[in-house]
Amino acid sequence: MKRFVYINDDEASKELCCDNRISNRKYTLWNFLPKNLWEQFSRFMNQYFLLIACLQLWSLITPVNPASTWGPLIFIFAVSASKEAWDDYHRYLSDKKANEKEVWIVKQGIKKHIQAQDIQVGNIVWLRENDEVPCDLVLLGTSDPQGVCYVETAALDGETDLKTRVIPSACVGIDLELLHKMKGVIECPVPDKDIRRFDANMRLFPPFIDNDVCSLTIKNTLLQSCYLRNTEWACGVSVYTGNQTKLGMSRGIAEPKLTAMDAMIDKLTGAIFVFQIVVVLVLGIAGNVWKDTEARKQWYVQYPEEAPWYELLVIPLRFELLCSIMIPISIKVSLDLVKGLYAKFIEWDVEMIDQETGTASYAANTAISEDLGQVEYILTDKTGTLTDNKMIFRRCCIGGIFYGNENGDALKDAQLLNAITSGSTDVIRFLTVMAICNTVLPVQSKAGDIVYKAQSQDEDALVIAASKLHMVFVGKNANLLEIRFNGSVIRYEVLEILEFTSDRKRMSVVVKDCQNGKIILLSKGADEAILPYARAGQQTRTIGDAVEHYSQLGLRTLCLAWRELEENEYLEWSVKFKEASSLLVDREWRIAEVCQRLEHDLYILGVTAIEDRLQDGVPETIETLRKAGINFWMLTGDKQNTAIQIALSCNFISPEPKGQLLMIDGKTEEDVSRSLERVLLTMRITASEPKDVAFVIDGWALEIALKHHRKDFVELAILSRTAICCRVTPSQKAQLVEILKSCDYRTLAIGDGGNDVRMIQQADIGVGISGREGLQAARAADYSIGRFRFLKRLILVHGRYSYNRTAFLSQYSFYKSLLICFIQIFFSFISGVSGTSLFNSVSLMAYNVFYTSVPVLVSVIDKDLSEASVMQHPQILFYCQAGRLLNPSTFAGWFGRSLFHAIIVFVITIHAYAYEKSEMEELGMVALSGCIWLQAFVVAQETNSFTVLQHLSIWGNLVGFYAINFLFSAIPSSGMYTIMFRLCSQPSYWITMFLIVGAGMGPIFALKYFRYTYRPSKINILQQAERMGGPILTLGNIETQPRTIEKDLSPISITQPKNRSPVYEPLLSDSPNATRRSFGPGTPFEFFQSQSRLSSSSGYTRNCKDN
Amino acid sequence: SSNTASSSAGAAGSGDSSAARKNSKRPKYSKFTQQELPACKPILTPGWVISTFLIVSVIFIPLGVISLFASQDVVEIVDRYDTECIPAPARTNKVAYIQGDGDKVCNRDLKVTKRMKQPIYVYYQLENFYQNHRRYVKSRSDSQLRSTKYENQISACKPEDDVGGQPIVPCGLIAWSLFNDTYALSRNNVSLAVNKKGIAWKSDKEHKFGNKVFPKNFQKGNITGGATLDPRIPLSEQEDLIVWMRTAALPTFRKLYGKIESDLEMGDTIHVKLNNNYNTYSFNGKKKLVLSTTSWLGGKNDFLGIAYLTVGGICFILALAFTIMYLVKPRRLGDPSYLSWNRNPGGR
Repeated sequence: MKRFVYINDDEASKELCCDNRISNRKYTLWNFLPKNLWEQFSRFMNQYFLLIACLQLWSLITPVNPASTWGPLIFIFAVSASKEAWDDYHRYLSDKKANEKEVWIVKQGIKKHIQAQDIQVGNIVWLRENDEVPCDLVLLGTSDPQGVCYVETAALDGETDLKTRVIPSACVGIDLELLHKMKGVIECPVPDKDIRRFDANMRLFPPFIDNDVCSLTIKNTLLQSCYLRNTEWACGVSVYTGNQTKLGMSRGIAEPKLTAMDAMIDKLTGAIFVFQIVVVLVLGIAGNVWKDTEARKQWYVQYPEEAPWYELLVIPLRFELLCSIMIPISIKVSLDLVKGLYAKFIEWDVEMIDQETGTASYAANTAISEDLGQVEYILTDKTGTLTDNKMIFRRCCIGGIFYGNENGDALKDAQLLNAITSGSTDVIRFLTVMAICNTVLPVQSKAGDIVYKAQSQDEDALVIAASKLHMVFVGKNANLLEIRFNGSVIRYEVLEILEFTSDRKRMSVVVKDCQNGKIILLSKGADEAILPYARAGQQTRTIGDAVEHYSQLGLRTLCLAWRELEENEYLEWSVKFKEASSLLVDREWRIAEVCQRLEHDLYILGVTAIEDRLQDGVPETIETLRKAGINFWMLTGDKQNTAIQIALSCNFISPEPKGQLLMIDGKTEEDVSRSLERVLLTMRITASEPKDVAFVIDGWALEIALKHHRKDFVELAILSRTAICCRVTPSQKAQLVEILKSCDYRTLAIGDGGNDVRMIQQADIGVGISGREGLQAARAADYSIGRFRFLKRLILVHGRYSYNRTAFLSQYSFYKSLLICFIQIFFSFISGVSGTSLFNSVSLMAYNVFYTSVPVLVSVIDKDLSEASVMQHPQILFYCQAGRLLNPSTFAGWFGRSLFHAIIVFVITIHAYAYEKSEMEELGMVALSGCIWLQAFVVAQETNSFTVLQHLSIWGNLVGFYAINFLFSAIPSSGMYTIMFRLCSQPSYWITMFLIVGAGMGPIFALKYFRYTYRPSKINILQQAERMGGPILTLGNIETQPRTIEKDLSPISITQPKNRSPVYEPLLSDSPNATRRSFGPGTPFEFFQSQSRLSSSSGYTRNCKDN
Repeated sequence: SSNTASSSAGAAGSGDSSAARKNSKRPKYSKFTQQELPACKPILTPGWVISTFLIVSVIFIPLGVISLFASQDVVEIVDRYDTECIPAPARTNKVAYIQGDGDKVCNRDLKVTKRMKQPIYVYYQLENFYQNHRRYVKSRSDSQLRSTKYENQISACKPEDDVGGQPIVPCGLIAWSLFNDTYALSRNNVSLAVNKKGIAWKSDKEHKFGNKVFPKNFQKGNITGGATLDPRIPLSEQEDLIVWMRTAALPTFRKLYGKIESDLEMGDTIHVKLNNNYNTYSFNGKKKLVLSTTSWLGGKNDFLGIAYLTVGGICFILALAFTIMYLVKPRRLGDPSYLSWNRNPGGR
């Protein structure tokens, strides 16, 4: 299928119908009700409740008034429907905003200002700098004479660097005026979602150019949602519009995330459902048997001899209805409610406000807070997430002299300043390279300041540093550069730019000094890409040392070099370079080769050291979270060395001898496979050692590993607590998340940039840092926070509390439903297994909706441990991670408790209210009040901290129970007229209540005390420690271990000045020492002496998977 | 320019605008929003727990004793008469006897073993009678009982709803199976007055059973169930019916028959002349006549007292056990050495 787009021809394009209206809405006004109902009923729980509600309409089998199910059901549906409607309304508003944005288009040769939604296929759209592209365009013209423009595609693919787009060859040289009148046809595929491919042809109509077909690629397009950058204007013809754009086609409604806890609750619900079916079958059969043997003798029941065909079903169905309350209808509503509150607590938290920008945290997804407490893996981006993404030039080494070592800031180094004023050649050349060996664009702002526009933060830092050292890059006019140095202006003409590629790892410019006509090659790059090409005879040793020294400090280094070229040499080379540049095949490789011919015999000027400062509190945060049993993976696009250094400086990995770093590298499949196997072997052996073992892999090796050795890599992923993946692409990041998820781990991805978006969306929990690289990550994320260190609080405080609270709330919901259901079941044994309800309809409905749901809702502010003790003992998070508070065995405990309480209530009630007191309504109310009393005490017992609200809701609820029942007892037409007044005036009623509470709570209280004191969980111990006061501080002291890596950078250089290669060298040597260590005699001691977090945590994780 | 991006973000777009809005607004500080409400955090210290159990046992044991005494104070005479009141020859087929015609008078003598102070309640006790059966308990029409207006609301009453299209008042199985044994008591040949007024709940008489609703077509169906009602007396005065219609929740139950408003002395012999009409024989139900006084706790029922004593005793034993455990094997609460990550690397 093809689509033909006629440029600038409204008539021809009409048939392509669709305008540029964007719609993300799920519903329209008309289909909302049916569609929403359909969606809600596709959930099992809702189908179940609907079935129950329908069955209740059959009066023969219903034990209670149908309203007791219909009421809550309609309420629940209304709540979730209005939530959906609200969300959809917001989507509508944001669509509207985008649709009504004003854009310039050309219609019938005239430039017009219209709304974005009115763009038609075939319209020519004009964009100015920093405009967002409103639909998919084929580029026709730009302000650049070469027909080039720059776009930022972050919103589309997450890559933040600027991309170059060029106009099709057919459009080259068309005059600005003529662009308005351009006619032609574009033959393009029907809309698809592939953002890397656009195979189309264009033919312009006369008089523009001959009838040649010009082929178009993705390079010639501007896709919707990209931004035009560094280009004054551009225009293009729209080919795909509205929801048919590449972006529109690829967007789907994000799948709702399900927390591990929800999954567990669903599983438990399923189990209860099965239990219910069993109960119903057993009681149904028993009921039918009893009916045929006993009930026929009970003449007063008048069972007819002849029964309709469905007679056999009646009793089982009655029991089904009686038991339907086993699955609490209120649980979904309560959970939604408390989850909303958890999210609010995160947003309200003043300790998670970024003081610098005043940004509060934001929870876009309100449904997954519990998962925060169960995180096992954190995958983090580096730049901007761990670091500030503020590159600052800190130190340099010029001609063997170190600047900035004393005060840590070369810009303030008097020695350097002196050298500049005295005009040292090396220093001035050094500064020149810093200032002009780049692709930075200086822009004069209105205030007269010079603002630099750089694609890379490093270049930005260098240029700014140079300007502070009096070498100011003032302006760029086409190929003419202007530099101001000490009051004088120096001009250079740029002859060539030898671009940076990740293979070459360096970039160079060839400039001509306009003063003396000398042609100079200026280079900068990674040490391994520069030092080998040093001029013969130059000692590069000191430079190498400097690089080593700086990278140990975690600084990013670049080597700067210089060479004067002979004119002939340049001219000769220039021809080859042009030739290579115009090649169609192997162009990149050929260019690299040609560049190589020029970049040799370099005179190495020195090394720059740029600091990408760690954010505040990053090492502490990582240390705390690692103690909490969370594994960290760093996924970065940065290079290996920098990544390792950053990892070291933020406690990500430990230096030798505590930590080991294993490399996986290789360029071919074989290399990678061998390397992977070797690492795996080492991992298996060291798994029992108390060592921090981490592996490092780069994007290339990762690609191969994932393609060919997925199984091995997965095993490695399971074994390794720490990993550093460098030079990975956004999609690889997402793949890694996928792998960990497939191993059943809870993953959290945190990042700040557009390149993290996919990983953030893929992970169970996505956290975005609303930072410098814009809001893309924060927008796609479930939570956005201002700084990395808030992650600690997000997980340990909010995640943990949410998990604990939901664990209690959900199990309690089942407990109270089972309690009343068991009583009904017991009662059926003394009512001829006929399915009579002991409780009246009002009580049954109010029990679930009011009496039992209010006190438990207040558990959302319950805290088992104070925030401080959790922070001090992050290990306590194990309980959440391993799901210790909500799993089948804890659930069995609650199940047992409800059975026990049901027996207590039932036995006491029927004996205390026997004989002349055994009136149906009274007995029902006695049993019900017994349940209410018990549940109040159960909530009280499970509450860890009593605030006013807790007291109010627990005891207020008891009062409320009596108030509601007094009210009903005052209505003559209600079934329970005067019942409650009667009961409350009987001493025996109160005596029965006390007995129920005493007998029901005594054993449970005793058991809790016994466990609490003699079999305490870690949580209990901390509670005791915290509340007895005092020892908590000493606890903290025990924990502290000698910190090898300090936040401050300088101590490292002192502690390990001699160790040249601190981390990664020793291990991957194939030396047998490395592997034999673990069998050595010393190992056991080591094992017991230091804490082995590795084995303990893996023990934990395994446990939880076994559950 | 972050706002302009909203259209581009697609599904995430809705989050964006609100994110921007939220971000600009600083959360308000309050103790609630910061989850810092002042809280009392009790912990289970041995002293606290042991004294709780002690206090509970100290309260429960005396209460148990009191309850037991109250129950012991109640004098109760129970006479099971279902089998005895059938002449020996007819005992092979009791159902036939009870369904047969004729006077089924039966004479019983009850010994008063202890002085009984008035009021003495006369109950009949039925066993193995399921007034709580689903089919039975629902077979009534409350609105019909209340007012003549709703005379035709008989849908719930099946199968005792109408006779030849005419509604039965009161309809339903409960009313239809009204108990119809009668007792005439006498002491030393002097008849003993049994007051049958005021045995039903006042509220029932006033609000549940209409004083203008008269029995209609009652017991006119194919089969006769229990007692008949005088169609001249409104339902609100038919106290036997009102008592019967308060269905019992248990298969063994007592219903009030009347009150004796004079004391009975020890050694008195009460002669009961009873009409044995009600069929409990087809389902082996027992029938008993009960004369009982009451205490503040109600009738004779040792259960509460015994249960209180048991619970109090258990609490006392628990308190004792915990004290011994505390003395023998004291544990420091919150001892950091119990934290496994401080102690051993196993973590389990």
